[in-house]
Amino acid sequence: MARTPIRSFRFPWRSRADIARDVDTELGFHLDMRIRELTARGMDPDAARRAASAEFGDIEGTRVYCRAADARGDRAVRAADRLTEWRQDARYAWRTMRRTPTFTVVSLLTLALAIGANTAIFSVVRAVLLRPLPYADPARLVVASESWPNTPGSRSPMSPPDYVDYRAQQHAFIGLGAYSNAMGPVVWQPAGADPTTLTGIAADAQLFRVLGVRPMLGRVFDAHADVMGDSASAIVSYGFWQRALGGDPHAVGRRLTLNGRSTEIIGVMPRGFVLDRNEDVWLPLDIRDDLANAAITRKQHWMIVIGRLRPGVTIEAGRADLRLISNRLGAQYPDADGGRAAIVAPLHELAAGNLRTPLLLLQAAAAMVLLIACANLINLTLSRTIGRRQELALRAALGAGRGRLVRQLLTESVLLALAGGALGVGLAIVATRALLAINPNTLPALFPVGVDRQVLGFSLLVSVAAGAVFGIVPALHAMRAGVHDALQEGGRGANAARSGSFVRRALVTTQVALAVMLLVGAGLLIRSFAELTRVRLGFEADHVVTAQLRVSGPRYDSIPMVNGFYDAVLDNVAHAPGVIASGAATVLPMQGSVSTSLRIEGQPMDESRLPDMAYIAIRGQFLEALQIPLIAGRRFDASDTPNGQKRVLINQIAARRYFRNGDAVGTRIRIGPNPNGDWMTVVGVVGDVRSGGLDVPPTPTLYVDHAQEAWDHTLTVVMRTTDSRQAIEALRRAVKETDPGLPLRNVQSMDEVVGSSLAARRFALGLAGSFAGLALVLATLGIYGVLAYEVSTRTREFGVRLALGASTRSVLGLVARRGLAWSLAGLALGMGGAVAGARLLAGTLYGVGPLDADTYLLVAAGSLAVVTAACLVPARRATRVDPLTSMRSE
Amino acid sequence: MARTPSELLQGTVDILILRALAWEPMHGYAISRWLDARSGGVLAVDGAALYQALHRLEEHRLVSASWGLSENNRKAKYYTLTGAGRARLRAESVVWKTYADAVTKVLKPA
Repeated sequence: MARTPIRSFRFPWRSRADIARDVDTELGFHLDMRIRELTARGMDPDAARRAASAEFGDIEGTRVYCRAADARGDRAVRAADRLTEWRQDARYAWRTMRRTPTFTVVSLLTLALAIGANTAIFSVVRAVLLRPLPYADPARLVVASESWPNTPGSRSPMSPPDYVDYRAQQHAFIGLGAYSNAMGPVVWQPAGADPTTLTGIAADAQLFRVLGVRPMLGRVFDAHADVMGDSASAIVSYGFWQRALGGDPHAVGRRLTLNGRSTEIIGVMPRGFVLDRNEDVWLPLDIRDDLANAAITRKQHWMIVIGRLRPGVTIEAGRADLRLISNRLGAQYPDADGGRAAIVAPLHELAAGNLRTPLLLLQAAAAMVLLIACANLINLTLSRTIGRRQELALRAALGAGRGRLVRQLLTESVLLALAGGALGVGLAIVATRALLAINPNTLPALFPVGVDRQVLGFSLLVSVAAGAVFGIVPALHAMRAGVHDALQEGGRGANAARSGSFVRRALVTTQVALAVMLLVGAGLLIRSFAELTRVRLGFEADHVVTAQLRVSGPRYDSIPMVNGFYDAVLDNVAHAPGVIASGAATVLPMQGSVSTSLRIEGQPMDESRLPDMAYIAIRGQFLEALQIPLIAGRRFDASDTPNGQKRVLINQIAARRYFRNGDAVGTRIRIGPNPNGDWMTVVGVVGDVRSGGLDVPPTPTLYVDHAQEAWDHTLTVVMRTTDSRQAIEALRRAVKETDPGLPLRNVQSMDEVVGSSLAARRFALGLAGSFAGLALVLATLGIYGVLAYEVSTRTREFGVRLALGASTRSVLGLVARRGLAWSLAGLALGMGGAVAGARLLAGTLYGVGPLDADTYLLVAAGSLAVVTAACLVPARRATRVDPLTSMRSE
Repeated sequence: MARTPSELLQGTVDILILRALAWEPMHGYAISRWLDARSGGVLAVDGAALYQALHRLEEHRLVSASWGLSENNRKAKYYTLTGAGRARLRAESVVWKTYADAVTKVLKPA
């Protein structure tokens, strides 16, 4: 049985037909051999054939079986081969990267920054725009509100009687639930420890059912037991349960002293459940008093109402349903509800609405940075690939196919991009954490930002795409140039360098254009920010400290007790060393305001269009502490007793807008929904203050004396002082002496209060600014790199030119002019793009238009200077070429 | 011999083939002759079972194949035992021996 193999080709690349032929040949050989043997033994050939066939068994079945087995085997071998090849490519790529550490480090850094920027923004986009809200089937949840009378498009919360009417008459919703975020902090008095304040929200029994979230422990509110029952109950958050109750599995049934009242914990909500602002506790919302007093309270709009649409009911149908009711209410109560229309909006849209545009703009900016980075990497890789043409040609000559070489280059770039992407993700995690820590109130609590599987998937996708983009262009380019030329040329000649020049030029132009667009955008934001910091606040924030103080508990059920407490504390503090002036207010400037309606004695007014006033109750020397100037009349003084004639102060805008000749002092007014309320006398006019935030111009404002209107139990104390730490200590002591059960909260300087109204803006500006800066740096590097490479490939040409008598100036111009021409084209394109794109920013800008000429000129001049510098450095190198050395160099 | 070999018989054919190839590389026909001769005609494996087993073994890379010339100068597919095949043969032989001994022990008249 001697064997003589003649050829041993590799089977795995056989076609289906090849496999079939091979199997047939093999089986045919077997049968022939058997027939031969049988005929040799003397059998008749036909009989032998029949016998061999019968002996063999199921020939057709075997044929099919063998073909299938071969095909499977071939596939496995092919896959293994591919894996081996890929491993070779990867190993080779690793060696190449290590051989050129500068290239590798520069590319990795570029990629890490660009992919990191995209990942960071995407993690916010994912949290705010893509992640479903933490409720059951959140797509069917809507917010129901009402417009202000005869003001379509405006949006106001609902009043308790309206809410109950909507709830009873609607058909489109499984249910409506409501909560109030105006409750103020909840004071918790732990046994044997200092009191602390908790964030709390009052919610009704329907709300939890509408949201469809089951408590992790215990139960949610029940209309009878909790709202109407006698014993106080509370639901606590997962965070509070962990932090304050040690994750006690038997927490339900334990009691907490909240706002001076013993309260039973009836439930613990699951992790991640949040309504409005990272609440610790939810208390039952009791509107029985409001309903008993519906004639007045129908005009008090403070309830936030959430509804769940019935299955199959569209949001339009839901809106039509509530519109019907709002029309009916308007006819029934023209005084309160006339001209109000029901508004129904998706809950998610409302929560994320004003973040959508800025986030998408930031994502677009990040994408532009990535494009610039890719352009840079294409240029870098292109130069390197051209430098490697000999090596590639050699590999091709040694038998590597074109596809294999392209795959090799792609493997290199994708691996590089993946490594850069991994670094970028790390960078993004660190950066977002740091940024959110610096600006904690930038995003609503409803949107927890983090890097989850989807964000990682996004980064992976972006990395691979980037790698493919900056790998495929140079690879195809190198392949097209052909291997023979490369070998013959014997090095990186002028031809090689020129062959990529169109691509390079286009890339440089694109880079500059993108960078200019980003710079203009960031420039407009910076100018807006600068305008805002120059805004006249109307008060002096320096040397002022503030702290929130709330009285709570049964002790303070009467107004005199509230007044007694605040008088005692403020008196005590006023005499503390270093305190120049001290007072308190229900709300600080920058922190928004409550509004009320205004009626002026002797002026006929349209009852359905009463003017709006911001309403602030103040005590002590609040105006003096913030140095809000008195314009006319007098401030509150000792003659204004709690039970005497009611006095108010108004600001200049209110005086000018609502009073004849702006002369308000001495006029009597009525405020609030009740047309027969007490008359109040305007005793003074004070300066305008920006109360809604830096970017909101002052609005008509009314100051009442908190001693006369002490229904709000939370005040913020403000102290003008020479030593803020001492002042806060004095305040702490004063509170402790007066009532040891009450805590201070939110201790911060007035500068911080002003600053935090800019938090979101600063956050966006920081990101946009760093993206623009990064873009400029990358684009500059790109121009520099391309020119430097050109100079290095044309050394001989410059040598010849210089030897033939060309002046250094002309050589300098030769190089620099090229770079500048591409850059100027980019600059022009970028300016055009910026003009087109800046309109998108219009809503975010303050004090500058989207076509602000100064910004455009500054960006143009700045980028021109940077770009010129980037062109001159390599150009100067060209002039220093020594003719002799350069001739010898090739 | 059964027309459709059961699991056990499939395994048996596999191990017999591996044993045959441990001797030297062979084509299918030679393997069938070798088995016939070695077993004195008792273990006659039909062609269908033999070739299905060979291709299955090749798919699992217990044997590898290459084309060669037969004794009478015809193109034939030669099979060689791979390293994995040799290891499988060793392991299966032990199992088979234990099994056969056990069966023999049980069948032996007490």
